[in-house]
Amino acid sequence: MILLGFIDDVLDIPWRVKLLLPTIAALPLLMAYAGGTSIIIPKPLASYVGVEVLELGWMYKLFMLLLAVFCTNSINIHAGLNGLEVGQTVVISAAVLIHNVMRIGSSKDLETQQAHAFSIYLVLPFLTTSLALLGFNWYPSSVFVGDTYTYFAGMTLAVVGILGHFSETLLLFFLPQVLNFLCSVPQLFHFVPCPRHRLPRFDTQTGLLTGTKDGNLVNIFLRLFGKCSEKSLCIRLLIFQAVSCLFCFWLRYMLTGWYK
Amino acid sequence: GDLVLRPPNLRLVLAAMALFLAPFSYLAFVHYPLAADLRRSILICGAISLGGFFVVLRLIPVAARYLLRRGMFGKDINKKGLPMGEITVPESLGIVVGIVYLVIAILFQHFNFTADSIWLVEYNAALASVCFMILLGFIDDVLDIPWRVKLLLPTIAALPLLMAYAGGTSIIIPKPLASYVGVEVLELGWMYKLFMLLLAVFCTNSINIHAGLNGLEVGQTVVISAAVLIHNVMRIGSSKDLETQQAHAFSIYLVLPFLTTSLALLGFNWYPSSVFVGDTYTYFAGMTLAVVGILGHFSETLLLFFLPQVLNFLCSVPQLFHFVPCPRHRLPRFDTQTGLLTGTKDGNLVNIFLRLFGKCSEKSLCIRLLIFQGCVMPILLLAEIHAYWMVQMMITRNTTSRQFP
Repeated sequence: MILLGFIDDVLDIPWRVKLLLPTIAALPLLMAYAGGTSIIIPKPLASYVGVEVLELGWMYKLFMLLLAVFCTNSINIHAGLNGLEVGQTVVISAAVLIHNVMRIGSSKDLETQQAHAFSIYLVLPFLTTSLALLGFNWYPSSVFVGDTYTYFAGMTLAVVGILGHFSETLLLFFLPQVLNFLCSVPQLFHFVPCPRHRLPRFDTQTGLLTGTKDGNLVNIFLRLFGKCSEKSLCIRLLIFQAVSCLFCFWLRYMLTGWYK
Repeated sequence: GDLVLRPPNLRLVLAAMALFLAPFSYLAFVHYPLAADLRRSILICGAISLGGFFVVLRLIPVAARYLLRRGMFGKDINKKGLPMGEITVPESLGIVVGIVYLVIAILFQHFNFTADSIWLVEYNAALASVCFMILLGFIDDVLDIPWRVKLLLPTIAALPLLMAYAGGTSIIIPKPLASYVGVEVLELGWMYKLFMLLLAVFCTNSINIHAGLNGLEVGQTVVISAAVLIHNVMRIGSSKDLETQQAHAFSIYLVLPFLTTSLALLGFNWYPSSVFVGDTYTYFAGMTLAVVGILGHFSETLLLFFLPQVLNFLCSVPQLFHFVPCPRHRLPRFDTQTGLLTGTKDGNLVNIFLRLFGKCSEKSLCIRLLIFQGCVMPILLLAEIHAYWMVQMMITRNTTSRQFP
């Protein structure tokens, strides 16, 4: 993914092909995946579905592929402010690490413990190296991260979600990215005009950003909470990311036992 | 500048493919009684590899446009002074070969039904090293990394291989030397891993410096790959040891797609080059060959196939280590009137051949060097067969002499 992301940064690949890149990059994962391809139906729904454990087969691999495509591209489009791309990734990674160690601590199943340990080994170096980048990328940015970073970040998180067997939880951590994607759909699929950069308007006098009509969280936050500086807006969005993760922890805690 | 892309030289590459794959196919499917499983896997690998050939042919013109547009091009130094020397030739087309190769190699896993988890680990470690090398090679082409760091790149790229290598770290001492050394099997431990690393660094950089003529980089790689394939199938056919057979089959699965995708690139890179291959290709090529040499357990034979590269490296040492002045490009002098190249005092095979055999055109010189690359192989293979029989004779002689004290 790093290779394809870097090639994209160098050659500026058209976006239709860009969507395909995570598919190609995810191939080794799909080929090597030797784990189970069944999902556990939440208890309340089990009576409706009929079974407690549903064997998905190739559809599970398709889900893995879609998760990789989603994680990479959703981080890529939830961008445009100094420090936003790295910041959101760092918050999600921290949440993943805490989730991993909580599951290891509360689970008696050796396989589950190993899966979450696997995730820790991959996310810990990812978190620290990303923080080093944030040192240069935080407002005001001395460097930009490129598609190389957003694709690499998305793939790393998708990979640990898949091989750590916690992809549903990962999607919950990605709630802001999901919302951002849903809001962006009309423009991405050209139901509505889509400019090259869907960025806010910058006022050189006040130094504040004003929200445009674009359908992404950056502009929606500006329209909801009023104009503010780039740094404040980024902090607000990262707080939203952190709060979403906390909400997910609370949700899992509330639903334990009842859910699985 | 605009993109000038001649149609690929299909006659040449299809002839080359037939030339290189015919003896291999004969040995694999007719001469040696290989297991049906193995034959099926090779056939599937061959089919996917052939598909890759056509995909690369289709993608190179597309990639060439993008690369040119983003400033990744060069001018053909060996045509300086002619109109052809003014054309902006897109560089780093090795990236197309690399990506198509990786996709083929990754997908092939799915079709190897005899794979166990150890095989999967080794195979994926090999692909990780090759992928890492393609990434670092492309970064080098884009950022123009200083050469001291460049030497380090294959070291980094070879890490997955070193980490995952679970094979033996001992070498078998040739029987005649065994009495001097004291043991028949010498356990090298970490020194074996160091050797693996040095092999990767050598293969990549030696191909990189034996370059500068249209088609030379890809051409030499294609010749070596063909030799590797034939060596692999010969060892499978003549060995009864299952591990040896598996190691050489492993090598075939990785080299076959490499050969076909490289031939597609050669279609555009052969004289006169429409595209240049870049460090992306030479590093990728060297790493792929080093990887199969290591995991196929035939690294000594691989080094023999690299004899021209070894000679080129040895001749280059004075300039590379600055004992003697070293220009930016150690290329011959091009005469715009005659269209011929004249050898300079530089210490590389390109110039040495010109000084030994007289001036000639770029295309002829490249062909001469590729023939040299190809010639060492029959000689070495004959020597290998001869040595094998010598060893066999020594075994029987020793056993018979012991029976009659």
